[in-house]
Amino acid sequence: MKIAIEELAGCSGCTIAVLDLHEMLLDVVAEAEIVYSPVIMDVKEPPEGIDIAFVTGAVRNEENRERLEKIRKRAKTLVALGTCACYGGISGLSMLNSNVDLFSCVYREVETVKPDGVIPTDVPPFLYRAFAVGDLVKVDYYVTGCPPKEAFLKKIIPAMVAGDTLELSRKSVCSECDRIMGPVENWTLKRRHEGVPDREHCLLGQGYLCLGSVTFGRCAATCPKNNIPCHGCNGPSLDILREPCRDIHGMMVRRISDLTDKPQKEVEKEFYDVAHTMYAFTIGSLIMEDKETSKIRDLVKERSK
Amino acid sequence: MKEITISPVTRIEGHAGVRIFLNDRGEVDSAHFQVVELRGFEKFLIGAAIEEAPRITPRICGICPSAHHLAAAKATDQIFGVEPPATGKKLRELLNVGQFVHSHALHFFMLAAPDFILGHDCPAESRNVIGLARQSPEIAKKAIAVRKFGQRLTEAVGGKPIHPANALPGGMSAPLTEGKRAELAVMADEALGIAREGWDLARNLLDGVDTEIGAVRTGFVGMTNQGVYSTYDGSAAMLGPDGGRVGSFSGPEYTNFIEEYSEDWSYLKFARFKGGDYYRVGPLARLNIVEKMGTEHADAALAEYRERFGTGTQAALAYHLARYIEFIASCERAVQLLSDPGITAPDIRTPVGAVVNRRGVGIVEAPRGTLIHDYTVNEAGIIERCNLIVATCQNNYAMDRGVEDMARRVVENGALTEAAANRIEMIIRAYDPCISCATHAIGKMPLKIECVRRT
Ligand code: SF4
Ligand code: SF4
Ligand code: SF4
Repeated sequence: MKIAIEELAGCSGCTIAVLDLHEMLLDVVAEAEIVYSPVIMDVKEPPEGIDIAFVTGAVRNEENRERLEKIRKRAKTLVALGTCACYGGISGLSMLNSNVDLFSCVYREVETVKPDGVIPTDVPPFLYRAFAVGDLVKVDYYVTGCPPKEAFLKKIIPAMVAGDTLELSRKSVCSECDRIMGPVENWTLKRRHEGVPDREHCLLGQGYLCLGSVTFGRCAATCPKNNIPCHGCNGPSLDILREPCRDIHGMMVRRISDLTDKPQKEVEKEFYDVAHTMYAFTIGSLIMEDKETSKIRDLVKERSK
Repeated sequence: MKEITISPVTRIEGHAGVRIFLNDRGEVDSAHFQVVELRGFEKFLIGAAIEEAPRITPRICGICPSAHHLAAAKATDQIFGVEPPATGKKLRELLNVGQFVHSHALHFFMLAAPDFILGHDCPAESRNVIGLARQSPEIAKKAIAVRKFGQRLTEAVGGKPIHPANALPGGMSAPLTEGKRAELAVMADEALGIAREGWDLARNLLDGVDTEIGAVRTGFVGMTNQGVYSTYDGSAAMLGPDGGRVGSFSGPEYTNFIEEYSEDWSYLKFARFKGGDYYRVGPLARLNIVEKMGTEHADAALAEYRERFGTGTQAALAYHLARYIEFIASCERAVQLLSDPGITAPDIRTPVGAVVNRRGVGIVEAPRGTLIHDYTVNEAGIIERCNLIVATCQNNYAMDRGVEDMARRVVENGALTEAAANRIEMIIRAYDPCISCATHAIGKMPLKIECVRRT
């Protein structure tokens, strides 16, 4: 079994997550041969005849796209590893600005650079937008998570290497959360840092924008258990993925409205910074953007003006 | 013009390249370190609520996410005008310690050591941690064990081993439980044991290696708490290229001392002192700056190191030893903090109200060097301006010059063998560049080596 890991525009966290198999790593490399992974080894090009290629990161520039196409051709099975590869991830937030503005900010506008700073051109050019891996090539498996969590990888990687199939949880973060729904009165939306939430009750019910109900689980609801609202880093929950008319923003509005008896229009008015609080991990995904009720198109339009 | 490309540079975090220009006699005319990606955090954070910064910016880097998390959290404290309670501060320091343990162990044992232990003539396919595991399974197992401790510590304190989320304006969101503390304390003792045993290996690693290679002369920047080694609290001291103290900064005044510029051929910016002197950050810089490490075994190692390299060294390969000494210091500090009875106290968070200051600058030491997060917000706490200065950008010049120095030594008859290319990469690896961090600005940097013959 020949395995490869390719990294596109991301943070290498997904590769580190694979190293976080810790001792199990030795068992995996006893069963399978890692033939290409630039972060940990010197092979410069993915060889032919790869059985499983894990691709992490989003596609942001020409070089990313070429590498993705190459590894797709050379691999029998391609796994989009992590939320960037699956839905664009945090890198997708760059969709909020035009490339020109992005470059101008970095090389000319931040305080430590001069207004006439050089904007690099002798470098791989940017694509006009960010893409998730599945927007451009056929993906065989999606493994979400920013990065995918250790316990989850410990389940799936040995199974993949052995060629086994697995029954996996399809539940949302809420179903892994230990909080109970207390009384919900005079609900108003709080910023995530306001006040100190009580540890027993649902954060959403307390007014915090917790995305647990619209987010795929498999992280053991880590954040709510640490007394912070879910930010949606595992990507959209299965019901949102399945139904073309369901979207993160729309589902949150509906859920809060049911919870609080506030009309949906009123709920929507309380939201702020929808791009960074609701679509932080999915904005660079055509699959999410193409949903009928998605707010992504508006956000991109509004901000890139 | 002849062009040879080797890409990407491997066993570094992210994508980057090297370009070597040859004259018509096949000699090196010039060479550059090139970074080919960018992601754009400085721009796309504008418009975000400031409290999101500690959750978004860890995604700049999956290897040192805690440093970004903490730099952003420190900036939010200033913006809301609060100080975390004592335990909150200790937990944050512990989080950074976990980061250093994992990152330094990863770099030393898994990314850099194969060059020294397996050697350049080892085939490229096995000159890596897997090859190391075959040849020296004991080293590999120990490396896995200490890195695991670092990640477990980060997870227990920060909520997750990668992209921790528990630091927030005013402190931390969850206390460390007694059960976890006890479990981690046992692991910390074991990790310190491994770190101490490994000193023999580390100390001898550079024996017979020419430490003049990759030569460059620069100043240094690194944090210290009154002369003592510190990664979370203190001010950043600046040394000039002659070793003399230039000054220090701990907040917005960094802009009086540091400037950045860009070149056409790299997405990665270059940082230098205003006035033109270059400087470096990271283990070498920090050890040049501090008077002592403040822990027993690291101080003993520092004394040996100084016997060999003096009190201020410019040698790029000394980074490896300096990094190892920091690794020992981090394990010792973990043991100390985990046996502090205050560490499990429930008082970890100071509640915050409205925006008090429109600007917050968070500075911490990341494993690769001084990290600066600078945010300006409006009255509602929405980010209006953001500047992020990462270690790799501050070491960019030194890597760039080191690459040229090495290229001159190893390019023969206008050609570069695989082993020679690896020697060039070794110089880059000494800095443990984090290309993801470096390219926070828009993508990631593929490190490429290309030779261009000028006719
Ligand atoms: S999914 Fe998260 S961890 Fe993985 S590369 Fe993207 S930002 Fe990094
Ligand atoms: S909304 Fe958040 S706090 Fe509430 S049950 Fe779901 S995950 Fe838990
Ligand atoms: S709780 Fe939400 S933000 Fe936290 S790890 Fe799980 S999916 Fe990610």
